[in-house]
Amino acid sequence: MTAETMTRPVPIRRWKSVFEAYGQEIVILGVIVVLCIGVWLYNPRFLSGNNFLSIFHSNAYIAIAAIGMSLVIISGNIDVSVGSLIGVLGTIAGTMAVNGYPIILCWLVPILIGMVINAGVGVLVAYVRIPSIVVTLGMLSILKGGLISVTGGAWISGMPPEFMIAQFRLFGIPSSVYFMVVLTVLAALWMKYSVFGRTVYAIGGNPEAARVSGIRIQPSIVGVFTIHGLFAGIAAVLFATQLQVIQSTVPPNLELTVITASVVGGVSILGGTGTVIGSTLAAILFAAIGSSLVFLNVSAYWLRAVQGLMILATVLADMARRRRI
Amino acid sequence: MTNLLEVSGVSKSFGPVKVLKEISFDVRPGEVHALLGENGAGKSTLIKIVAGVIHADEGEVRLEGKPVRFSSPREAAAHGIATVYQELLLFPDLTVAENIYLGHAPKTKWGTLDWNAMRAGARALLDSLDSPDLDVDTAVGKLSVANRQRVEIAKALSQNAKLVIMDEPTAALADADARKLMEVVKRLRDRGVGIIYVSHRLPEIFALADRVTVLRDGTYVGTKPIGEVTEGDLVSMMVGRAIDHLFPKTDTAPGATVLEVKNLCYRNVVRDISFTLRAGEIVGIAGLVGSGRTETALTIFGITPATSGEILIDGKPVTISSPDDARRLKIAYVPEDRGLQGLIRPQTVRENVSLAILDRIAKAFVVDRSREGSLAKDSIQRFGIRTRGPEQRVKQLSGGNQQKVVLAKWVATEPRVLIMDEPTRGIDVGAKAEIHALMSRLAGQGLAVLMISSELPEVLGMSDRVLVMRGGRIVGQFERKDATPDAVGAAMTAAKVGASLESAPAGLTGVAAS
Amino acid sequence: MATMVMNRVLRHESILGVLLVAALVVLAAQSEHFWTTDNLLNQGRLMAEVGLIALPMTFVIVTGGIDLSVGSIFGLCAILLGVFWQNMGMPLPVAMIGALIVGAVAGLGNGFIITRFKVPPLIATLATLALYRGLAEGISQARSVRGYPDWFFVLGQGEVLGVPTQLWLLIVCFAIAAFILGMTTFGRTTYAIGSNEVAARFSGLKVDRAKLLIYGASGLISGLAAVIFVSRVSTTRSDMGTGYELDVITAVVLGGTSIFGGRGTIIGTALGLILMQALKNGLALSGVKGDGTIVVIGAVLIAAILVGNLLSRDGDG
Repeated sequence: MTAETMTRPVPIRRWKSVFEAYGQEIVILGVIVVLCIGVWLYNPRFLSGNNFLSIFHSNAYIAIAAIGMSLVIISGNIDVSVGSLIGVLGTIAGTMAVNGYPIILCWLVPILIGMVINAGVGVLVAYVRIPSIVVTLGMLSILKGGLISVTGGAWISGMPPEFMIAQFRLFGIPSSVYFMVVLTVLAALWMKYSVFGRTVYAIGGNPEAARVSGIRIQPSIVGVFTIHGLFAGIAAVLFATQLQVIQSTVPPNLELTVITASVVGGVSILGGTGTVIGSTLAAILFAAIGSSLVFLNVSAYWLRAVQGLMILATVLADMARRRRI
Repeated sequence: MTNLLEVSGVSKSFGPVKVLKEISFDVRPGEVHALLGENGAGKSTLIKIVAGVIHADEGEVRLEGKPVRFSSPREAAAHGIATVYQELLLFPDLTVAENIYLGHAPKTKWGTLDWNAMRAGARALLDSLDSPDLDVDTAVGKLSVANRQRVEIAKALSQNAKLVIMDEPTAALADADARKLMEVVKRLRDRGVGIIYVSHRLPEIFALADRVTVLRDGTYVGTKPIGEVTEGDLVSMMVGRAIDHLFPKTDTAPGATVLEVKNLCYRNVVRDISFTLRAGEIVGIAGLVGSGRTETALTIFGITPATSGEILIDGKPVTISSPDDARRLKIAYVPEDRGLQGLIRPQTVRENVSLAILDRIAKAFVVDRSREGSLAKDSIQRFGIRTRGPEQRVKQLSGGNQQKVVLAKWVATEPRVLIMDEPTRGIDVGAKAEIHALMSRLAGQGLAVLMISSELPEVLGMSDRVLVMRGGRIVGQFERKDATPDAVGAAMTAAKVGASLESAPAGLTGVAAS
Repeated sequence: MATMVMNRVLRHESILGVLLVAALVVLAAQSEHFWTTDNLLNQGRLMAEVGLIALPMTFVIVTGGIDLSVGSIFGLCAILLGVFWQNMGMPLPVAMIGALIVGAVAGLGNGFIITRFKVPPLIATLATLALYRGLAEGISQARSVRGYPDWFFVLGQGEVLGVPTQLWLLIVCFAIAAFILGMTTFGRTTYAIGSNEVAARFSGLKVDRAKLLIYGASGLISGLAAVIFVSRVSTTRSDMGTGYELDVITAVVLGGTSIFGGRGTIIGTALGLILMQALKNGLALSGVKGDGTIVVIGAVLIAAILVGNLLSRDGDG
């Protein structure tokens, strides 16, 4: 290979290509900064240590779920059932903890179950060729209804403190924040440096070319959904251990928030592009917006409308950009 | 010197149609071997067999003396055969470097992707292809077509290709880019790579190729060293068959001018097109792939409305901004890609035939089933469509019969202008004659017919007048009596007048190009 | 020739019909409350809202698209009905019409995004699902509206000739929809778009206009269903209609409409709807609570497409 004769590394034209590759992420970061400064000027308590930290802490699990969701969307699919899945897995974790199972199992078993369920979804999508929107729409009801039927709407409380992993603190920062940062970084590195990571981009970007290049699409899709289940499981455990009780339902439309985080974070809904760093930043942005509404005395009921507008704006901009290319 | 590639006795059929009949030829290392033939001659099928995309029914392919039978393009690539297709198979959102190495990327000792090696390797490959200005970190989707092609070639090189197949590489390139590409091909050759170069452009072939093989109607015509042939020789080898077995156009005196196009432009693919079309005449448009013929038709038909210029029907200027407008003005278009653009394959003959006149066979929005049924039956009879009946699904019909359904659909709109784009592509000889007969009959009934075709005999045999397009413009006009294969062929393949003569061999002089 | 057509069209529907009869027999056997006039009419009343929305949804899915925002449009129209009447003081009939207009505008918004900006229907309606629901929540601030006049409840709770009002409405709309899809040029255009949109365009059909109308109708009917629903349950709340898209899509897909477009009938949708309602009723009568029902509906959706995929492999495709 001619590359072997080449010893000197190729310099990156630093700023231009970094901006091209990470433009969206940089924009989101900018918006977060501007928003925070703006709200802080209006109400200085917004950036107080407690509030600032609680934004990250209570929404970290969303960012983690968005990592898996980004993978799914990059591969050209979608999952509208992740919210219900997190609810189910969180309930399993909590119930196991209350019933005295070893703590480590309470953490790992839900994750495993999440992977198995989503692997099943992946099989239906890849091998039976049912569009992912339909499979996950059905899955959403199965999980949501199943959860309420089994729990009867009861809240879970009385979980042992050793179980509450999200509340462990290191240097005063809750572990959920560490999880969010570490998992995002690991996932980003993996997506960039592993063969499988690049395969996901290829499948989403041009399935025909991927096939001709020898990529085996079907097993890859199952893999993508399984990994998505892994992240959903981790998110569920964190969700379950954030507060002293687990509610019988997940926050309404959690799946929409997760999808929005991915899409606004730069993952194109047509597949093939986007990064997990973007989706994590977007999740943080939403959390910041949600908190801002409180501090600006705007009713929190407008949050969903803001979500919808942001998806719409991002998608329209994405379509406009693509047509120019 | 052993041959790099040997093809012996290769045949291939698609259904009842035999597209390749016992083809044999060979390619040597370090040679550019041109593959020439009209559309439908079998070139694409042959290179797909060599590239491992499809299998031959009979015959053998040998690579460096050993028989091979690849089960996938990937396997062929692993053995050193790379293909640069017309429809580039690249990932628009990934970078140049990544596209080049996708599927066989260099790895570090921990098993992760080695981006530095990838980028360095990509840089080296592109430099060797004389493309220092192509940035390895750009997303491929942002590149021009010419640059994307270079990425494809670099991709081929990155897999240590011994044989590179290039399918119409300059079809979508401007002259300057085409010349640069030819330099790249020469460098490849100088490195010992064997190249199969499929192209229509005779001046390129003369400038680049060492030998040329001509196919015609799926048969092997001959292989000659480039120094031993003239352009005229090649054109006759390509076209060679007798024209007389095609149904000749019945002579009718043309009527009034129905359609007039003035200075029609669409972006930079349709450039300043002007011509007239009279009732009762068939005007053929000849040209190479990419000359802008279909684009002109799509502009007249309203799919890509004109950005400037005029269209006049019966002398009155009209605006056509959608196919619906065109249809109301009695313009019909039988498209090039009948499967995708002309037919709804899962639907029946009856439903397809009525598709363009739904509003006219309806009473108060309700589709009149009995009228529709009679229309279908009439059309089956008039056009000789071989089908079990109006309720048969169109996808079960043969190519020729499918084309008749499309024609029937449009004739039902009672058009005055009928544009037919590659009317007999992919159709067996018998059905071809039938379609030609239908065209003649329709013209005889007063329709003004515009026929786009890449098959010279068809153009020459059917047209009252021939227009030649190249690079989006009309570069030649011939009356029937003046339209000889040499004259038309020369107009099709000549570069801009003047520029071509510099690179043309001695055999070209004396042929008029307008 | 007509019989050939009927044979082709009714193959899936006949299987469905048989399934439906079987289900009804089983349910009647399981519980004596099932096969009573009261119960059947009541089921008819309950399924009217989903049934109405399933009609334009059939058109949407036949064109190869999807509309996930119907539940949100439903909620938005329900809220605005209350807002128009109570907060803005409009006469109730005017408020009702206003709600319908809102629905139509919302649906046209979907259609606009899809045709003008070429956003895939899945994404466009996922975004508007959030946006319209968000507007409903924001406008209502989770307050509910009550106190509608008595005549208003005739629509949702009344009867005409012994049959619930909305059931009549459903039957009428069903007939109109079946007529349009099966017999008019618009119906043909719909099928053409779903089978091969490029060829439809190349044949001079006005594809974009058709899509706008279809998505607009989807929104309008969602608004109509919302008005009926409010009339039936006597209050307005912003979370109404959540999850409706699942029921509607399941009814349509169960009825034989291919999720990939190009195939499907209103009769099929009607059968699918009835089958689904029977299933829900049967579960309720066996003591399964509402939440357990949606588990079954979700499973039915997946199973319906699974079976559909398997059948079309060896069928006429």
